[in-house]
Amino acid sequence: INLPGGILRKRTAVDELNIRTFFTEGDLLVAEVQSIFQDGSASLHTRSLKYGKLRNGCFMSVSGTGGGGGVVRARRHVFTVTTAHGGGEVDVVLGVNGYIWIAKHVEPETKGKDVSITRIEESVSSSIYSSQNDEIGTETRREIARIGGCIGALVDNGVRVDEDMVMRAYEASLDVEAEAGAGGSDEYLGGERGRRVVEM
Amino acid sequence: MAPSSATHVLLSPAELSYLHSSLALSPPVRPDGRSSTQFRPLVAESDILPGANGSARVCFPDGTEAIVGVKAEVEKSRWRPSEEHGVHLGTGGGDLEMDNDDEGERVSGKAAGKGLGENSWAEMSIEIPGFRDDDALPVFLAAMLTEALLACGDLKDRLYINRGFHWKLYMDILLLSQPLSYPLPLLSLTTHLALLSARLPKLKSELDEDPLFDDDWDASAYLYPRDSAGKRLDRPPVTLLVMAVGDNIIFDPTTEELAVAEAVLAVSVGDSTSSPKAPSAPSNLRLLSIRTIDPPSRLTPPGVANSMNTATGGNAPASSQDAVAQREGMEQQGVWNPPRGGMRRGLIGKMIKTVVEKGGVAEEVLDGLAAVES
Repeated sequence: INLPGGILRKRTAVDELNIRTFFTEGDLLVAEVQSIFQDGSASLHTRSLKYGKLRNGCFMSVSGTGGGGGVVRARRHVFTVTTAHGGGEVDVVLGVNGYIWIAKHVEPETKGKDVSITRIEESVSSSIYSSQNDEIGTETRREIARIGGCIGALVDNGVRVDEDMVMRAYEASLDVEAEAGAGGSDEYLGGERGRRVVEM
Repeated sequence: MAPSSATHVLLSPAELSYLHSSLALSPPVRPDGRSSTQFRPLVAESDILPGANGSARVCFPDGTEAIVGVKAEVEKSRWRPSEEHGVHLGTGGGDLEMDNDDEGERVSGKAAGKGLGENSWAEMSIEIPGFRDDDALPVFLAAMLTEALLACGDLKDRLYINRGFHWKLYMDILLLSQPLSYPLPLLSLTTHLALLSARLPKLKSELDEDPLFDDDWDASAYLYPRDSAGKRLDRPPVTLLVMAVGDNIIFDPTTEELAVAEAVLAVSVGDSTSSPKAPSAPSNLRLLSIRTIDPPSRLTPPGVANSMNTATGGNAPASSQDAVAQREGMEQQGVWNPPRGGMRRGLIGKMIKTVVEKGGVAEEVLDGLAAVES
């Protein structure tokens, strides 16, 4: 599917009217950039099932400033964090363009079944084009906010953002919170506390 | 027409729904983990422009930055006939009608210049990159900030020099960065700091002579004077953005949080003029103005529920009227619906109380700003 526009937010594809049943303007999706045309528009592919519409979570945009910071190219850009405080599993998608998606992990329905290439349509769950969020618990939301804060702290302090650093920052933030003791909702990781997290 | 957050909302319906439900919990879970009354740290410095009477620069952590310069110029006053004309001449003239002096003081209630200030003596100009001078946003921001400034204390009375002359105060407010978020709180804080650092040269001439000032800048007096202990007696106002989602009241909202707000108010508070300030007084602060701001959430398209989405096995509505009718009946978790209706009075009262009460948010902000030394 060729889509004009170079950023992850979709613009209307004038010819492909059928796409409106799946995506509308303003949706957020993760895709692979196949090629970039000279006029700046990009060709985005959502071939694999791990690409597509994003929901159940929160978006952040970080820029590559701070000298050496930002999202760097790595082996894994999509990973899952098992969170503390009963938050369950949280997916993190790091885009090299600086766009980051943190969301609750939703088990695909096909887990445990064998999926062959020719039968890939059967494994497509009905919810991949859904705009509706599932029920998300408070602890999960808090952990999503915490991970967002970790990533923000990494960027503010010029540290590269990849899976390894995010995991370490997350664990460090749990330690910092344990040290601080009381102040349950004081999870703000900007400024001073962010720096301490990064130093660890 | 109420001012609106001009930046368009670039969030998908799933994100809007997630943010809204997070903020509607109690206590609200903000995307960056702050508490509802916690402000983001900012960088502020004052007295940075040597050519201006007062100046300040504030940078917010989301990248927006503003600079304010305050300049004062002596201007000739328009001659105004006043009701107390006779008495006025008496107190001005000096040795005429000395026995009427006390009565004169009581009648016109003045110690030099009280009640003689005029609103036109303070002028504000706001520059926002990407907007023309006559666009709605700069005009409304200027109006809101000016009305708060003139309503607070006796600023305009301090601009009075004598019957023929007065100070004209020019405040130039520049937003240096692009308006990534609604600029009102940033501009208000920067103006507050600039006014705190503003000084006027000391008057050497007497009474109604042509004004002559002391060349020594160290002898100049602060526009907002301090007492002998260095504590400020009076402070310029500050305007805060307060938003509400459900029953939660949230301060210092980011652009994403504003995008899902159900109600947004711009509240201006200043120091109360009643004196002395008893420590047991309910509050030292006065509410100066409240302005409603259209939250950008009302302009967002509603999300599509699974039951109405053909891609997820539902039935798409045949026409937009059907779509609206179906949505009316539906109260689905996880689907974004732009907020409708006005604000409840109880909610507005609660928002104001949280701002103005003793130990409340406005006090914290004002005390924090007072600690910024030039």
